[in-house]
Amino acid sequence: MTAPVDEMVDGAGRIRPHWRNLLGAVGGLGKPQLEERARRLQRAAEEEGIASILPGTKAAGMGWRCDPVPLPLPAAEFAALEIGLAQRARLLEAVLADLYGPQSVVREGLLPPALVFGNPQFLRVWRRANAPPRRPLLQLYAAEMLRGPDGLWRVMSDRAGLVSGMGHAVENRRLMGQAMPEAFRAAKPRGLSTFFELWQDSLQRLRPQQAGAPAVALLSPGTADPHWFEHVVLSREISAALVEPGDLTVRGGALFLKTLQGLQPIDVLLSRVEANTLDPLEFPAADAAGGVPGVLDAARHGALALVNAPGAGLAESPALAAFLPALCERLLGESLLLESLPTLWLGSPGALAQVLGTAEPILIRPAMDGAAPGEVYTPALRPRLEAAPRAWCATWLPTASVAPCFSGTALAPLPLALRLFAVSDDAGWHAMPGGLARVLDGTAPMAGRLPRAGWCKDVWVLTEEEAMPIIGPAAQHLPPIAIRRSAGAIPSRVADNLYWLGRYVERLDRAARLIRATLTRLRRGAPLPREIAEVAALARCLREAGLIDAEALPGGGSTTALAAALAHAARPEGAVGQLQARIADLTETVRDRLTDDMHATFNLSLRAARAAGETAGTGLESLSRAMVANLRFATAVAGVASENMVRGGGRLFLELGRRLERSQAVLAEIGLVLDQPPARVEAGLRLVLELCDSVITYRSRYLAVLQPAPVLDLVLADPSNPRGLAFQISAIQAALAEVSGLAEDPLVAEAGALSRDAEALVQSILASPEQAVAAAMLPPELSAMADRLGVLSDGVTRRYFAMLPVARSLGLDGPVAARAEVLVP
Amino acid sequence: MMYWVRHITAYAYDQPVDLAAHLLHLKPRALPGQRVIHARIRCQPAPDHATETHDHFGNAATRIFIAAPHQHFEVTAEALVAVDFPPPPPPEATLPWNIVADQAQRGCDEATEYLHASAHAPALAEAAEFARPCFPPGRPVLAALLHLNARIATEFRFQAGVTSISTPVEEVLRLRRGVCQDFTHLMIAALRGLGLPARYMSGYIRTRPLPGQERRRGADQSHAWVGAWLGERDGWVGLDPTNGIVVRDEHVVIAWGRDFADISPLRGVILGGGAHHLSVSVDLEPAGD
Repeated sequence: MTAPVDEMVDGAGRIRPHWRNLLGAVGGLGKPQLEERARRLQRAAEEEGIASILPGTKAAGMGWRCDPVPLPLPAAEFAALEIGLAQRARLLEAVLADLYGPQSVVREGLLPPALVFGNPQFLRVWRRANAPPRRPLLQLYAAEMLRGPDGLWRVMSDRAGLVSGMGHAVENRRLMGQAMPEAFRAAKPRGLSTFFELWQDSLQRLRPQQAGAPAVALLSPGTADPHWFEHVVLSREISAALVEPGDLTVRGGALFLKTLQGLQPIDVLLSRVEANTLDPLEFPAADAAGGVPGVLDAARHGALALVNAPGAGLAESPALAAFLPALCERLLGESLLLESLPTLWLGSPGALAQVLGTAEPILIRPAMDGAAPGEVYTPALRPRLEAAPRAWCATWLPTASVAPCFSGTALAPLPLALRLFAVSDDAGWHAMPGGLARVLDGTAPMAGRLPRAGWCKDVWVLTEEEAMPIIGPAAQHLPPIAIRRSAGAIPSRVADNLYWLGRYVERLDRAARLIRATLTRLRRGAPLPREIAEVAALARCLREAGLIDAEALPGGGSTTALAAALAHAARPEGAVGQLQARIADLTETVRDRLTDDMHATFNLSLRAARAAGETAGTGLESLSRAMVANLRFATAVAGVASENMVRGGGRLFLELGRRLERSQAVLAEIGLVLDQPPARVEAGLRLVLELCDSVITYRSRYLAVLQPAPVLDLVLADPSNPRGLAFQISAIQAALAEVSGLAEDPLVAEAGALSRDAEALVQSILASPEQAVAAAMLPPELSAMADRLGVLSDGVTRRYFAMLPVARSLGLDGPVAARAEVLVP
Repeated sequence: MMYWVRHITAYAYDQPVDLAAHLLHLKPRALPGQRVIHARIRCQPAPDHATETHDHFGNAATRIFIAAPHQHFEVTAEALVAVDFPPPPPPEATLPWNIVADQAQRGCDEATEYLHASAHAPALAEAAEFARPCFPPGRPVLAALLHLNARIATEFRFQAGVTSISTPVEEVLRLRRGVCQDFTHLMIAALRGLGLPARYMSGYIRTRPLPGQERRRGADQSHAWVGAWLGERDGWVGLDPTNGIVVRDEHVVIAWGRDFADISPLRGVILGGGAHHLSVSVDLEPAGD
């Protein structure tokens, strides 16, 4: 076995010049500090959500781990790679244009027909018999390379379909900037922002209509996609709206985004959805509800630019590598500069025998599936290869170059695969001055689609001169954009998710308050009779909120079952834990509406609350602490929403959700607590004040005199009490008025009526000679009011989120023609 | 023969459909042996947007989009077509089938595409085994094809309702019954399994009333049969395994593809609608003889 090239050390054992500055900085840190930096990188990655917080996944070990030592590339080497990458991208574009057009390379025998017509990535719906395909088919391209013992990088995989990894490169760069500032100062890598500006500009130039502001969107399958985080990062880098298939609709042959304020046109769609599921009209096997019917026809007729074109994944076929040198000569009239690793299609004569007869390491991959990781040849594979040689291809693996990687305790040389990215504009192809180096630590797949998790390095392209030339065309002259102050372009789905996020956060807050109030009383040991009544009232509230079962209600003076039920509720599988999980889920779906700081705030405080719930056990004190952690989370959300979110649009729906939930909770709790004989009303009032967090306010206004009317005024009718009903209703009214933009909106009017009725209720008690009796009569009226709020909530849901019915397919039945009986030959 | 074709597809929905997109392969293809004098498609309600292209296989593909709520949707495709496909060469004069298979493997002819498996018509070993007795080494290809065509017509029972489009070819082979598309997919799978190119033809067939009965309007159906390749010299021939005949002047071709999924006459995606009821009527009437 040949010795690998060491990226850092040359054959004579000297540190290569382009590593010296970097190594000086890394070496200067010392081992303990390097360990600390590696931990810091991991922590930062987790905080920012690379590691998922979704329920069912453990944060540790998830996602990508960024090595603290980057891979430096000298300027000259990168320049040569960029030329090669650009030529390869031009070549694949030309191959695709031929295969989706005249198919002359097949007729001329330069590419075996089986690799095209038998290729599942050859999307016939993107080809027209009598019209050339729209260009470009490829706007974004990546190549993954290995450097062999001869020092040359050669391509192992071409990525042309779902080109993943750029978002990870961006994120790595950001994390490295935080964790390894000395190394940055020492090595001065080229920045990435110019490249993303250029890409954003080139995407905008693809828009079909030259009038109006360009609208670029990034289409993601959603939070369940393994690369969801990357979609969030990329959509920000290129200022694209992050959308999901359900957000889009085709009308009049063009693509639109469904927003709260109607349909907004989309001109350019960067798709991260598998091409053969993109349009259920064109692909009958696709799930009708998972795509956008008609989107391909919009692109086919030029109303929309799809990036990359559907069917570009054909260029990922691993077996194509065997034919690229000849295709390059034929289509570009050039020799291939950036070669592939030696590859044979086993359908070629003699190829199979060559593979079976060799002892060298060979990567066996399905010939036409660029997503498959492949496996190194062993004789066990032989029967499969012999059974269908045309289905396979073989790639001779070199001894890949190694670079120092930090395992957590020590630096060790490990082999790398280097992934570089390029985008095109009118002037040609431009490589991103950076990349993603995957550490091939033995567990990483060799080739294929970027896995969900792994170990990687940031790639630093070094500068030779002080000033780098700015590449790219001059800025486009775009028409001025009309100023919008409302966030009307928010997709309905996002508004829906924010609304439910608001509701669930508030529900969690209420649960934590109720449980904590109960625990406080249970902890006192020998309770007073008043406290026994309070615990009973609280238990009714807990029961009503679905936090405990009926069996847990205190009976015969025993609260053991209640304590156990509360401990269960706090656990991950309990009611509180499930609320937390639902919130984590929703937070992820609105990830792109939150800044990194906001997301980190949500994420960290929620994780703390979940951890507290997991470890609380059955101790009343630790359970109480777990509830406090939930309250801190809810407070953090409220703070972020009021301080960091732009008024209007998304925040309004978060606000609506929270206020509706809280107003219903206030009504339910007051109703349950007052539902006792008039003699006990005073004890109930005390609890009402506590649950509404209004004890201090009351005391400052009325000292210790507890009477029904002042208490109910404070919690029901006083619009200045942020925990009271009136405050919630007037906030709902304001939010609804702002969202609808109408002065006379029926939903707004209903909120106004509710507000007046709450006031009237309190007035009636004040006017009553027996306030306690009147208060005890309240519960049915409060319950009626809660019902009206429920109707109002339904109205909001129907108006703003009414999900269109789910799409389904028709006409997949075949013809049934008659036969012989009625046919006279 | 000259024919008037009228093909009406109607959907009635229990609930309003808010948005519909449909893909139609309903315009007969112009071919040597088939002249399309007139062809048009009408939709009710009228589409908000419609496009017409020729697909990868060269068939006319019409896409229509309806954004207005509707509870009834009807497509009427009408055409006037003159059909006279040339008779195939004498069977015994065609190339040995294994030579044809070699030509298809080696060549980069348009036939090559139809060698490859597709979703509804895989290159199936069991189907090839069923066909093998018709294909002894060296037998002229058309003789072998006619033999297979006749065997399917006699050994399989035509019976609607026992299969659907999702019934795999293996199942049809086991059941020994089905409808035209099943027999067509079966024969294609068998030919592909033997290394011979075969394609799915969609269109209409002329039917005649039983003796002593009036011709009933709308009683015809859309039909499917096989396009089989005889080699570079003799090209394609249409074979109808449902009826065991060679396609001459009683069939009208709409489109061809690898299998039904490439060229289904009408399919779509709808939002809303509830339950739906489909009715299809086809008339193929001789015109101006």
